Amino acid sequence: MSEKRQQVSRRQFLNYTLTGVGGFMAAGMLAPMVRFAIDPALQASTAGEFKAVEEVDNITEEPTRIDWEIEQVDAWYESTVTKTAWVYKDENGDIVALSPICKHLGCMVTWAGSDEYPDQFYCPCHDGRYYKDGENVPNTPPAEGLDFYEYKIEDGTLLLGPTKPRGEA
Amino acid sequence: MQWNKQDLGQYLTAEEYIDTLLIPLVPISLATGEDMVKGAGQMETTNIFVKEMEKQYKGRIFLLPIYSYLSSPDLEAEAVRLNKWVENACQRPFRHVFFFTFDHQWKKQERLLSGNLLWLPSIKADDIQSKETKAVVNDQVSQLTELIKSYW
Repeated sequence: MSEKRQQVSRRQFLNYTLTGVGGFMAAGMLAPMVRFAIDPALQASTAGEFKAVEEVDNITEEPTRIDWEIEQVDAWYESTVTKTAWVYKDENGDIVALSPICKHLGCMVTWAGSDEYPDQFYCPCHDGRYYKDGENVPNTPPAEGLDFYEYKIEDGTLLLGPTKPRGEA
Repeated sequence: MQWNKQDLGQYLTAEEYIDTLLIPLVPISLATGEDMVKGAGQMETTNIFVKEMEKQYKGRIFLLPIYSYLSSPDLEAEAVRLNKWVENACQRPFRHVFFFTFDHQWKKQERLLSGNLLWLPSIKADDIQSKETKAVVNDQVSQLTELIKSYW
C-alpha cells in the first residue's frame, strides 16, 4: 500500500510509443487495402436502389398512385427517371406495391381506370385488366400479372426498390 | 413504341396492336440567335411531351423520331412530304395518325395533312425540370392522351 507508485521507465515509455505509432502507421497502410479488397461489396448498385416514397401510415387499402424519381445511369448518359407504383395495404395490413407497366405491351395501367371495372387495374390500350392483387384477368390481353416492387419499411417510411416479376415472387 | 431496336423488336411481334402513329413536328431556323434558342427549346419540350405520351400508351402508340423542317410561314410543301411519310407508314397496320407540334403555322395547313393535328401553344419555361413546370406538363400530357383515347 505504502509502496511508491511505479514510475514508467524509459524502456516502457519507448515501447508504448513505438507500438502506438507503428500500429497507427500499419493501420494507415492496411485500411485502404482492406477497403479495395471489399470494395465491390460496398458498391451501391444503382439498379437495386431503394428510395423512400411514402409514410406507411398514409397508405390505405385503396391502391394509390405514387411517383418518385431515381437517377438512372446507363453507358452513355445519366438521367432522371420518374417511377410509378400502385401501393395499398392488403387485408393483413401488408404493403403491396405494384408496377403500373402492363404485361401485354407496356402501357401504364390505372386503378379503376374503367368505369365498368371500378375494382380492377385497367389498361386503356387494349382493355387489359388485373385484379386488385395484380393477377391478370383471364381472357384479357395480358398473359401474366403485374410486377411487384421490392419494398422495405424503415422508421415507418416505405422504401421501394427494383421490380420483380411474379414468377420469382 | 419508340424508334429504337429494342422497342422495334417488340413492335414487330405485336404490330396489329399498335395502331396509332405519332409524328412530332419541330421547325428549325438558324437565321437569328433568337430563332435558334426558340427552336432548340421547342425541340426539348416536344421531346418531353411526345415521350411522356408514348410512355402512357406504349402498347398502342408508335412514336416516330422528330420531323424537323426549315421554319417557314408556308408549309404546303412540307405537308406534301409529310403525307408521303404517312403513306409509307400506313403500309403497317396504323389506323390513327397524329401530328404533335408547337408550330402554329401548321394550324393553317391542318386540312392538308392526312392525320390529326395536335397543336399546343408553346411553353416558355426557363427551367423545364422545375416542379411547377413538370406538373403543368404532366397535366397537359394526360389531357392529350385522353384526347387520343377518344379517337380509339
